[in-house]
Amino acid sequence: MFDYDARPVTPGVVLVGTPASRGGYAIRDFLSRNGYPFEWVDAGQPDAVRAVLGVAEVEPSALPLCILPDGSRLASATVEQVAAGLGMVADPSLPEYDLTIVGAGPAGLAAAVNAASEGLRTVVVEAVAPGGQAGTTSMIENYLGFPNGISGSELATRAVVQARRFGAELLLARPLVGVSADGPGYVAELSDGTLVRGRAVLFASGVEWRRLDVRGVDDLLGAGVYYGAGPSEALACTGSHVVVVGGGNSAGQAVVRFSRYAKRVTLLVRGRDLGASMSQYLIDHVSAIPNVDVRVRTPVVGLEADDCLRAVIVRSGDSTEPVRLPADALFICIGGAPRTDGAAGIGLATNSAGYLVTGSDAASNPGASWPLPREPLPLETNLPGVFAAGDVRCGSVKRCSAAIGEGSMAVALIHRRLAEVGGD
Amino acid sequence: MTEPPAVASPGAAMSSEFAELASDEQIAKAAAALERNGIRSLLAATGADARGLVDSLLVDAAEVYNNTSQTLEAIGVADDIERSGRYQPLRLRLYRMDREMQRREMRTLAAAPDYVVGSVHALTEGGSLLIASASGSQLGPLASGAGQVILVIGAQKIVSDVATGLRRIYEYCFPLEDARARRAYGVPSGVNNILIINKAITTGRVTAIIVKEHLGF
Repeated sequence: MFDYDARPVTPGVVLVGTPASRGGYAIRDFLSRNGYPFEWVDAGQPDAVRAVLGVAEVEPSALPLCILPDGSRLASATVEQVAAGLGMVADPSLPEYDLTIVGAGPAGLAAAVNAASEGLRTVVVEAVAPGGQAGTTSMIENYLGFPNGISGSELATRAVVQARRFGAELLLARPLVGVSADGPGYVAELSDGTLVRGRAVLFASGVEWRRLDVRGVDDLLGAGVYYGAGPSEALACTGSHVVVVGGGNSAGQAVVRFSRYAKRVTLLVRGRDLGASMSQYLIDHVSAIPNVDVRVRTPVVGLEADDCLRAVIVRSGDSTEPVRLPADALFICIGGAPRTDGAAGIGLATNSAGYLVTGSDAASNPGASWPLPREPLPLETNLPGVFAAGDVRCGSVKRCSAAIGEGSMAVALIHRRLAEVGGD
Repeated sequence: MTEPPAVASPGAAMSSEFAELASDEQIAKAAAALERNGIRSLLAATGADARGLVDSLLVDAAEVYNNTSQTLEAIGVADDIERSGRYQPLRLRLYRMDREMQRREMRTLAAAPDYVVGSVHALTEGGSLLIASASGSQLGPLASGAGQVILVIGAQKIVSDVATGLRRIYEYCFPLEDARARRAYGVPSGVNNILIINKAITTGRVTAIIVKEHLGF
């Protein structure tokens, strides 16, 4: 074991809960994605519980129980409480910003770096953790400048450091609940009532995992069924049978990650082949892993569970006979639905799939009106001064490098808008 | 090098000659020798003073790696690095990495931090620094990988010469470290790698803070 394998000195969070706890999973996921060390203790293991609490049992209603580094305890802990207890919830330092960025994924962080480095007063609001979907990717191998690849978490970490170095602020752990016009600018409201004023807004909120329309999925969330690649669960999958659903790069990366821990990984793809949406390098990689089984034309039609997942029911090819696939964990990576919470109330135009329309699409969108003599700028929505970049934008290329490019590009356009309203 | 001597028990180690605090004369001699060897030496009366000196040497936002060190934990420097928010604490960043998927990133990140902060197992009156490591992973950054090296050294670690320093490692430090490793990791330690820094050729790269307190092993 190398020295850097050892735990940090800093006492992390101790989380006591049941394996099938949705709330426990949400906290584990939050802490993992924010890089905060934690210890997970199974409430069903008396010796382990006694070691951290001094008693062998915890009242079930108190679970998940969270012990913060300062020793304080949160019963029935929520992500918001844990975030606040760890000091991760900060107030905006300025009464007004030049740019409010919604989302700290690749597009948002690229915009933050470029905006702040060019002197714009910049704030990023992020519901969970920096990195977005890319942040949970174990290895991005086709991003320029990293011939050996870079993990999504490391890319996000570096981007956050870079953005902060230029003076951008990040307000974490609170989702956006609404945006309203405020003169030529906008006010963003966060879930705890915090208001953030910005002369321009960039929606870089990405996508959330599309829901798998199979009975029982919602009941088992956190209890063997997860959306996304669940970095907090990789170690827990050691020796188990993991099933990944999806045909894109996220699914492929999840397969690669879990294949290092699981006894067996099965990738279920609804389509005819992986080439439709997975990059070739990843197809080659997945195909070569000995403990991975790729099944195309194999949709999930049901789940079998008691208090946690036991099996995934599929249909294969042209057969109508359901097939039972034993499974300890199911990771659903079937693409994204645009995350536009908080955008609906202000009248932002979207396409039929919910993605924000920009540029000429915004000008010609039948459901929206454009108030200015000029055309919307290329990444500008139907509201002057509100821009969109990355996966949330209609017509964007759903790749990390493309998102970074759009986030960077948006800043130049935002400068033009700020000059238009004066005081740039 | 002679064969390592038989390992003494941790209990015996505590009453050893190697647990005695050096005299002011020995401290001054070692400090002067370090300076002649291109290693900046600072003196601190207490661990708290040393903590303040480390704080003054580290630059905000720098990548800082704190070696596993009883000394750093005892005086709160490990806590400062990992929790103050002033730096980029590499231990936290490394801890969150996937040991399977990100092993290469971990290796490269740990190899060349802006700052490495740690201690030594022996400091000779001739100004040589001796550090032992089971895995060796601490030694590369100390020798050359890190941009800056800050070492906090309790005055009980000052010895007369390199041979005595090696004896200190085998007879005194190793039993204590072995016991600690078994408790912390469930595996024994080993004097598998030893670094001896006789001289620093890059001016200003290495700073040794000698503390007039018994700190660490």
